[in-house]
Amino acid sequence: MSLLFNKAVTFLLHWLVIGALSPALFGVIARVKAFFAGKKGPSLLQPYFDLAKLFRKKCVYSSTTTWIFRASPVVSLAVMLILSLMVPFGRFRAPVQFPGDILLVAYLLALGRFFMILAALDTGSSFEGMGASREAFFSCLSELALFMNFITLSLLSESLSLSRMIGADIPMSWKGLDPVLLLVVGSFFIVLLAENCRIPVDDPDTHLELTMIHEVMILDHSGVDLGYLLYASAMKLFLFFAILVSIIIPVRTGHPAVDTGIFLGGVLAMAVLVGIVESIMARLRLNRVRLLLLIAFALAFFSLIVTLWRN
Amino acid sequence: MTPWIDVICILAVFLSLTLLATHRIVGMIKIFAVQSFFLGLVPLFLHGGIIAGRDLAVSLVTMVLKAGLVPAVLFWELRHISMRSEVRPILGLGASILCGAVLIAVAFWISLAMKLPGKLESSLVLPCSLATILLGFMTMVTRTRAVTQVLGYMVIENGIFLFALSLFDTMPVPIEMGILLDIFVAVFVMAIVLNHINEEFERTRSTGRRPRWGES
Amino acid sequence: MTLILLIAVPLIAALIVLLPAKNIFRVRLLCAVSLFHASVVASFWWRRPGPELQGYFVLDPLGLLLLSILDLLFLATSFFMIGYFEREHRNNRTFTACILCLLSMTTMVSVSYHLGLMWVAIETTTLFSAPLISFHRNWKSLEATWKYLLVCSVGIALALMGTFFLAIAAHETRTLLLPAILNNAPLLSTSWLKLSVIFLFVGYGCKMGLAPMHSWKPEAYGQATGMVSVLMAGGLTQCSFLALMRVSQICHKTGLGDFYGSILIVAGVLSLVVPAVFLLDEKSLKRSFAFSSVEHVGLLVLGLGMGGVGVFGALFHMINNALAKVVMFLTAGSLAQKYGSSRAPEVRGVIHLYPVTGIFLLVALLAGTGMFPFATFHSELLIINASVISEHYVLAGIIIVCLAVIFMGISRLVLDLVYGKPVEPAPAPRENLFMNITIAAAAALLVGLGLWMPAPLSGLLHEAAALIGA
Repeated sequence: MSLLFNKAVTFLLHWLVIGALSPALFGVIARVKAFFAGKKGPSLLQPYFDLAKLFRKKCVYSSTTTWIFRASPVVSLAVMLILSLMVPFGRFRAPVQFPGDILLVAYLLALGRFFMILAALDTGSSFEGMGASREAFFSCLSELALFMNFITLSLLSESLSLSRMIGADIPMSWKGLDPVLLLVVGSFFIVLLAENCRIPVDDPDTHLELTMIHEVMILDHSGVDLGYLLYASAMKLFLFFAILVSIIIPVRTGHPAVDTGIFLGGVLAMAVLVGIVESIMARLRLNRVRLLLLIAFALAFFSLIVTLWRN
Repeated sequence: MTPWIDVICILAVFLSLTLLATHRIVGMIKIFAVQSFFLGLVPLFLHGGIIAGRDLAVSLVTMVLKAGLVPAVLFWELRHISMRSEVRPILGLGASILCGAVLIAVAFWISLAMKLPGKLESSLVLPCSLATILLGFMTMVTRTRAVTQVLGYMVIENGIFLFALSLFDTMPVPIEMGILLDIFVAVFVMAIVLNHINEEFERTRSTGRRPRWGES
Repeated sequence: MTLILLIAVPLIAALIVLLPAKNIFRVRLLCAVSLFHASVVASFWWRRPGPELQGYFVLDPLGLLLLSILDLLFLATSFFMIGYFEREHRNNRTFTACILCLLSMTTMVSVSYHLGLMWVAIETTTLFSAPLISFHRNWKSLEATWKYLLVCSVGIALALMGTFFLAIAAHETRTLLLPAILNNAPLLSTSWLKLSVIFLFVGYGCKMGLAPMHSWKPEAYGQATGMVSVLMAGGLTQCSFLALMRVSQICHKTGLGDFYGSILIVAGVLSLVVPAVFLLDEKSLKRSFAFSSVEHVGLLVLGLGMGGVGVFGALFHMINNALAKVVMFLTAGSLAQKYGSSRAPEVRGVIHLYPVTGIFLLVALLAGTGMFPFATFHSELLIINASVISEHYVLAGIIIVCLAVIFMGISRLVLDLVYGKPVEPAPAPRENLFMNITIAAAAALLVGLGLWMPAPLSGLLHEAAALIGA
């Protein structure tokens, strides 16, 4: 009974952390960008206000859409909520973990994307169809790199569970300044930017450009649905940050408070870093995005080769 | 100090790969300069961090020649040749990256069969130098501009240099310097020939006779 | 100090040549330097100098042979140049400076006993010969220069890799000095040595213009002036051959002789087959002579690869090849200067307009294809003989067939040039004494060697062959 209770508490804790903190990341990124542009920028709480506003609004549905269109925001959010249980948040171990859960993680990400693409196609608009096609193409490439990274990490840690892969086994490698991990981090960062539609790949702030990818797919969503999608993308960003931070700073001091502080600080630093990248880089032309993702893949592949070669 | 050499080896291969994915010659030259700079650091990490005079000398000469003068000569060349500065790849950039990844795998696979008799500073030196050489060859073969071919040649040289550093004690310093100087002079001579080619090209273009490259 | 002096004097002369002066002064200086160089080298035939610079510079019989050949070539070209620059008014500052540097660097190749140093010297010869090819600075010669520079640089880079592999194989000795490697031959790691041998062979073979890597040769020799082609075909290729012979020395000590020999034989056969095929339909005299050069370097490596008499034959062929190249390319060069081309439709009926050059062309044909009484005949016979002795009957058959086809190919073109209907209008008939004397002297020397081999030469050749283990 108490076991079940404990489980329930950890579930709730994870949801609480990600639910409460993830929208703030958007706020941090926006502030950093504003700082670089010499502006004051919106409040850090602005994303929360946006979400609150959207949740109070009613949804408008086009008459051509079917249930798929309505299901997709729910699926997206649900997928993120499940995923958040499988990713360790610094000291908080993932409540759900089993050997091979890495595949589930990857395919849950794919499931969310699948529904997004279907919903975009469901609207019947050629504009959104175009976005869907781009999303499908780029995610093909980024998923390849993601899997390569996961394989390398699982070889390094000799396990197939995400919590173990990015957990305690990595400090051993870092001590020798392992170049493999450098490659993994580099590759994963590019994947992070691509998967979360950040700047060199996609610009989340524009709505009227022919080159945008993610935003074009959610143009027809409104009200609560749009809120769900926004919330889900914030959570996705938080999850990727969490994974990357666990790879880069796998510090375990033993003090729960210090560990948590380091973890949250790391996530914050990541957000600042993404903000800086967005400020100093322009978005790439669409055909160059492909190259960027291929480089991410090549990096991951390279790290895999080095790891295999060593064994 | 092995980890630093490992990191430099990996960086060298990675930079050769990005060289393949770059579509402007200026960018390629810059990447090459960065690569040479990192390679120039290698002698400093060789003997467990104890920097002897000869290490410093080789490191300095490498940096000055390869990361400084060679790129300078190539930039001078680019300014003097009235060519557009975009590479014309035979193979698309994306396909080049994938082929490059395969070549890296091949290099590592080959190096598995090659057992080094002596103790090397870092185990990654051999596969990484092989990979750099192969990538240099690929740059040379798949990029049709003359300057990019020179760059490919220089990347091959960088790969060989990376390998040579692990045998530092066998080569006396004057010969090591001779090799470096030779390579620089090679680039210099190539640049001069290119300049002549360009002058001739301009002249024949104005008179209307315009032989194609490769026609003889 | 003599060896260092031999390397330094041409370099100093090259600096002097860079000063503003008349063309003819530079050529005379070049003549004087090569005469000095040759006389010093001639004195080595009586007494060889000892090792210099801690054993980095040593003159052994192989080196002496190459050095003497080089001096013959440089003497011939510099005398030829006196005649050539009477008519050519282009400034020859870079040209003579590069030739002097080449003299210095090729000397360094022949005396260097450290494989790294040897690489540096050979690479430098590539760099200094490139500006020579594009002397006329037209589109085609520039393109040929570029091709030569790029192909040879990459090839030579592979040789550098091979040198480093050798350093790994010799990690016990911790040096690349030749005697140290040879004395510690059992300590070498065989697998690395094999790898290094392959790389060295490909690298120096590329510089030598062996068949799969010969693509630069017809372009470069076809565009360069005759004198430059002589220096490259007779001198630079044989410098790389010296490197291959050094590798052969190491291989014989380590029991890799058969492995290396089989590589050499395969490349040699290819270098005979390729020119045989290409020569059947070649319109340009210089280009066909370039293919003939591919054939001759093929014969050299074949002889080296077969061992025994073959090595002696190859060493003898080095001299004959050089002399034949002098006759061939200088004739082609003087022809090109007279007609402004060396291709078949533009050049016809030479014998009617320039009887002497026409005869030289016939002599060049016979010398280049190895006809009696030219010494090339003997050395080629020795190499074929070696393949029969070592019971490679098929190989001997292939060599003979290829030589016959090459003879047909070249004679078809040359006879066409010599006896065809004269072109109209005829260029002004003028023969140059200096040019003709040089060619005649080389041809006479070649015939002389074919009829009688002096005892010191035969002694040197035997001594050199013994070094390679034949």
